[in-house]
Amino acid sequence: MHLYFLREAWRSFRHHQGLAWTAMISLTATLLLCGIFLLLTHNAQSAVRFIGDRREMVVYLRDEVSAGRRDALITHLTELYGVTTFVSREQAWEEFSQQVGDPQLLQAVDQNPLPASLRVRLRPELLNYPAMEQAAKQVSQFPEVEAVRYGGEWVRRLDELQATLARGALAAGVAVALAIMLVIYNTLRLTVMARRREVEIMLRLGASDRFVATPFAIEALGQTLVSALAALGLLFTLQQFAAQQVVHVTFLPPAWIVTFLGGAALLAWAAAALALARTLRSAGP
Amino acid sequence: MITFEQVSRRYRERLALDSVSWHMDEGECVVFAGPSGAGKTTLLRLITHEIAPSSGTITVGTFRGARLPRARRALLRRTLGIIYEDFRLLNDRTVFENVALAVRITGHFTDAEVVPRTLYALEEAGLQQKQAAYPSELSAGEKQRAAIARAIVNRPAVVLADEPTGALETASAEEILALLRRIHEDGAALLVVTTRLEVGAALGGRILRLEGGRLAADAAPARSPYTARELGAPAPPTAPAPGA
Repeated sequence: MHLYFLREAWRSFRHHQGLAWTAMISLTATLLLCGIFLLLTHNAQSAVRFIGDRREMVVYLRDEVSAGRRDALITHLTELYGVTTFVSREQAWEEFSQQVGDPQLLQAVDQNPLPASLRVRLRPELLNYPAMEQAAKQVSQFPEVEAVRYGGEWVRRLDELQATLARGALAAGVAVALAIMLVIYNTLRLTVMARRREVEIMLRLGASDRFVATPFAIEALGQTLVSALAALGLLFTLQQFAAQQVVHVTFLPPAWIVTFLGGAALLAWAAAALALARTLRSAGP
Repeated sequence: MITFEQVSRRYRERLALDSVSWHMDEGECVVFAGPSGAGKTTLLRLITHEIAPSSGTITVGTFRGARLPRARRALLRRTLGIIYEDFRLLNDRTVFENVALAVRITGHFTDAEVVPRTLYALEEAGLQQKQAAYPSELSAGEKQRAAIARAIVNRPAVVLADEPTGALETASAEEILALLRRIHEDGAALLVVTTRLEVGAALGGRILRLEGGRLAADAAPARSPYTARELGAPAPPTAPAPGA
């Protein structure tokens, strides 16, 4: 019986190729648009994650702090905020020298003006602006601390960018879902109307709605999956092209691809169920 | 088997059936005869629950009620074999596929079981040689045979026929009537609606006349010379002309 439904779906596709191809082209375009947005989001998220890894808090120590109190503070900060490492004045000067690179400029400086500091690699839950701000305030209360720097404005902007991307992905997802539903809904209605006589005869012979609807639903599902695969193929080509032009653009990870295909299939099935429930009632005796 | 109790059906202002009551038993042959617009097709559509009665009760086998739910309607139709004047075959499928469709619709048979049942019905209808043909390649009589094969393939307790010879020329009509009579003799109840009285006579069943949506008379089985000829019986002796 399952083979029969597959054969019927294929027969329907062959008989209404014009309609089927129009639907598949529309679906491919819609899904490609969604794919492009997913690719951008994925790469932006990777970039943000990469940058986020470097978000740390720099705690400058007073000159008079003893090694004992400094070590105690390191233990304390590690427990509260994340892994803390000590950067001595000499290490700080070394890093600064490497960054500046010009020996003449460095010779102009009489003596090392840089203070010793602690670098706190913040725990993931603290990698947002309000939490960082609060942590900085708390750390600055310690008597050993001269000052705290964490690039507040920069962190805030990074957070905003992430939030914007998440909102954009959600909006694009909803828009694409609606577009897919609309395309499948209307295509199926037109297909059923084009085969109205056949549907009517089947219902007169006692076919259940499920019997009549299954081949149509399989056809819609097949069209959507082929369109989704075509969209992924086009997206891969785009990504390869972009990777040659732009540094480090990666393709969607497997989990995203599976979700993309599964989501498209789920939407197709839901749209088919809605369209067929309505159309069969108006088509049959 | 089928019972109508005070059944009326109104289309806006027009009363197509007016308080009609009748009953048919299992294995019986009933022919509703009447002119166009008498309510014959309305009667068939009420039996198959394509439409609901405006008033009254219809019982078909174990199905009783004015308006059955959609799933029950499908179930009811699967217990009937229906033949239409315009055949209602699917033009993009072969004769075999058209008949097999009715078997698949029941949902009771595997692909392997569908084939022998379909072939048997085609053989009964005398169409085994045409099983691979498409409806467009068949004559009107052959199309009606295919529709009959489709109607009987699930061995229904009752076969309904809406003007089964309406689109056929005389020779084909005679063959179709002979086939329907054979189906009835094999045990199926037969309900035919027709504008032609001679069809009723040919089938030899109980004739009910419908006129203006009302049941006019319940006639006894009748046979005509036309009927006998079409069934292959020897023609009755011709009465001598007066004065011969």
